[in-house]
Amino acid sequence: MSIISQLSKSLPKNIVISGDENTRPFECDGLSVYKQKPLAVVLPNELSQVKKVLEICRKNNTPIVTRGAGTGLSGGAMPIKDSVVLGLSKLTKVISINPQEQTAVVEPGVRNLAISEAADEYGLYYAPDPSSQIACTIGGNVAENAGGVHCLKYGLTVQNIESIKIMTIEGEELVFSRQDEGLGLLALMTGSEGLLGVITEITVKLTKKPEVAKLVMAGFDSVKDCANAVADIIKNGIIPAGLEMMDEFAIEASEEFARPGYPLGSKALLLCELDGSDELVSNDLETVLSLLSKASSVRVSESEEERLLLWKGRKSAFPAVGRISPDYYCMDGTIPKRHLGDVLEKINALSMHYSLRVANVFHAGDGNLHPLILYDAGVPGELEKTEEFGNEILKLCIDVGGSITGEHGVGVEKLDAMCYQYSDSELDVFHQIKAAFDPKSLLNPGKAVPSLHRCAELGNMHVHHGNLPHPELERF
Amino acid sequence: MQTIGEIQKKVRNASQLRITNFGSASSSEVLNMISYSGVVEYFPEELVITVKSGTLIKEINQVLGENNQALPFFIENSDKTIGSLYSTSGSDFSDSVLGVQIINGKGDLLNFGGQVMKNVAGYDVSRLLVGSMGKLAVITQISFKVFPEKMVQERSVRLEKRSGDSPLRKQIEKRLKDVFDPYGVFV
Repeated sequence: MSIISQLSKSLPKNIVISGDENTRPFECDGLSVYKQKPLAVVLPNELSQVKKVLEICRKNNTPIVTRGAGTGLSGGAMPIKDSVVLGLSKLTKVISINPQEQTAVVEPGVRNLAISEAADEYGLYYAPDPSSQIACTIGGNVAENAGGVHCLKYGLTVQNIESIKIMTIEGEELVFSRQDEGLGLLALMTGSEGLLGVITEITVKLTKKPEVAKLVMAGFDSVKDCANAVADIIKNGIIPAGLEMMDEFAIEASEEFARPGYPLGSKALLLCELDGSDELVSNDLETVLSLLSKASSVRVSESEEERLLLWKGRKSAFPAVGRISPDYYCMDGTIPKRHLGDVLEKINALSMHYSLRVANVFHAGDGNLHPLILYDAGVPGELEKTEEFGNEILKLCIDVGGSITGEHGVGVEKLDAMCYQYSDSELDVFHQIKAAFDPKSLLNPGKAVPSLHRCAELGNMHVHHGNLPHPELERF
Repeated sequence: MQTIGEIQKKVRNASQLRITNFGSASSSEVLNMISYSGVVEYFPEELVITVKSGTLIKEINQVLGENNQALPFFIENSDKTIGSLYSTSGSDFSDSVLGVQIINGKGDLLNFGGQVMKNVAGYDVSRLLVGSMGKLAVITQISFKVFPEKMVQERSVRLEKRSGDSPLRKQIEKRLKDVFDPYGVFV
C-alpha cells in the first residue's frame, strides 16, 4: 500500500493532501527560488495525528519535512523529493497564560503576533518580533531561533522560551526546560531547523509592556558617522530596544513605498528605539541626542502613531525593494559591528563587479546585515550571478569574524556557505548530533548541514581558523 | 597547561582524564585548567568579551567594570573560574554565551558560535555544552555577551535546577557524550 493510502486510511480524510495540483501551495517556503513538490502534505488538527504521521513515515522510511506557516527565508521548510510535509499550522491553541509567572503555553501553530494579542489584556507581550510575525508560527520560530528588530535588548527566541515538548522520530515525547540539569538540550533544539525532533508545545516567556517607547530617527551624510553613532550609544551604557540602520538606496525605496518621512539624500539612516519607564526613557533620550552631533537631521517620535509610522518604513523595506525590482535576494550575514564600514564598502565594490544593485538594511545593534540584491530572474544567468554575489557577501562576513546567518537559518540555501564557516571536524559533530536523535535521518534530511562530500566537491580552498580544509586531500 | 597544543597532547595521551578548574592538582589523569587564563579579546562597544576558561570571575568583572559593564548573570562566588561556572550552569547562564572553543575527546580543537549576538548556522553547540560537567570536552575559551552594569542589577537568575531523569533523555545525553568523547576519556 502506498504511503498516501496508509496516511489516508489512518487519518481523517480532510487532513491528508496529495496530487500535483493540491500540493503545489506547499512546494516552497518564503524562499521561492527553490521548489519541490512532496508526496503528500498532512495538516493535523490534533497532536495524536502527529504521532501517527511519524509512525507511518518511519515504517516506510519516508522523510518528513515539518512546516509552520512556510514564511522561512532559507528553504528550511521546502519539501524534499518523495517526502511527507507535516504542516502544524492548524494547531493554534493558546493553552494557558500565566500572568504571575509571565509565561504562556501554546501549540506550535500559534502565530507569533497571536501570542502578544492573547497576552495583551495582562499588559504582557512576546518580545521576539521577526518581520513575518503576523504570519509566522511559534513552532517555526523555535525551529529557526528567529530574531527580529528587538534582539539586542530582549534576546532571540532561545532566550525567550521556558520549555518545549518535542516528539522524537520514534514518536516519544520529551520535555526540555530551562531548569533542566545536564546538557543544554533546550538550546540545542532551538534553531535545529526540524532535523532533531518535532516541536509539539512551547512555553514562552512573556515580557511586561514598557511604559513608554520613543523612536529617534537620525540621518547622516556618511555611513561611517552613522556606524560611529551606534558604537557611541552602546559605549555609553544604553541598550536600545531597537537599533537599525539603512543605506541611501534602502531609505529611498522605503520612503517611496511607505512615506514615513525619511530624510531623502542622507547616506545612512539610524532608527533608535528607547523603551522602559518614563524617567529612564527621558534620561536615555537626552544621552542619545547628545551623541548625534554629526547627524544631518534628527527627529524624535512625539506620538505612538508617529513611532509606528517611522518603524513602518523600516519594516516594509523588503516589499519596498520588491516594488522597484522584479526579484530580490535577501542575505542574512552577521558581523562584528566595528567592521561595518569596511564590509559595506566591499559589498558596494562587489555590486559594481556583478552589475547588480544592493540595498542594505541592518540590525545595527546586533550586527545582523540584510543586504538585498536586486535582480531579474527572467534574465538568463542572473539568478546564478546573484547567488554567487550572495556567497561572496557571506564569505566577507566570515572573514571578519561573523556568521553566514543571524536569524534566517541555513535551510538549503546556505549549505555551500556552511563549508566556509565550519571545518570538516565541526561539520562532522553536527552530523553526529543529528544521528543521536534521528539515526535513520528521516527528519528534514539534507538540510542545514552540508555533507562533507559536498564541501570537498565545492573545493573552495579556504583557510579556516588558520587551518587549510580537507588536509587529507592531495593538492596539485 | 599553558598552550592549546599541550592540552591537546595531554588529551590524546590520556586513557582517562578528569578536568578540574580549581586548586593546583595536576597529574597525567587530572587536567587542571586554572592556569589557562586571561582575557583574549574585549570589545566594549560590541558588548562582547572572550576569555580563557581558567579566568576567575572577579578578574573578568574587573576588566568589564572599567567600562561600566558586567557579565549578565548572577554570580555568588567570584573566586570561581568561568570554566567551572560554564560546566555546572543552566539556561540562565547560557543565554549570555556566544561561542566556545573546545578540545574534544580525540584531541581536536573545534570552534562553535563566535563573537556575534546572532548566529544560527549549525546546531547551538556553545549552549549545548553548558552544564556538561567536563564530561564531553575541554572548554578552552568562551565568548559572552555582556551588559551595562546598571542593567545587570535588574536581572534575576534562578539557580535551582530540576533533574532531567527520563530514561530517553539519559539515552540521548549518552549518545551526545559519544559524539564529543567517543573513547570515554573525560571522567
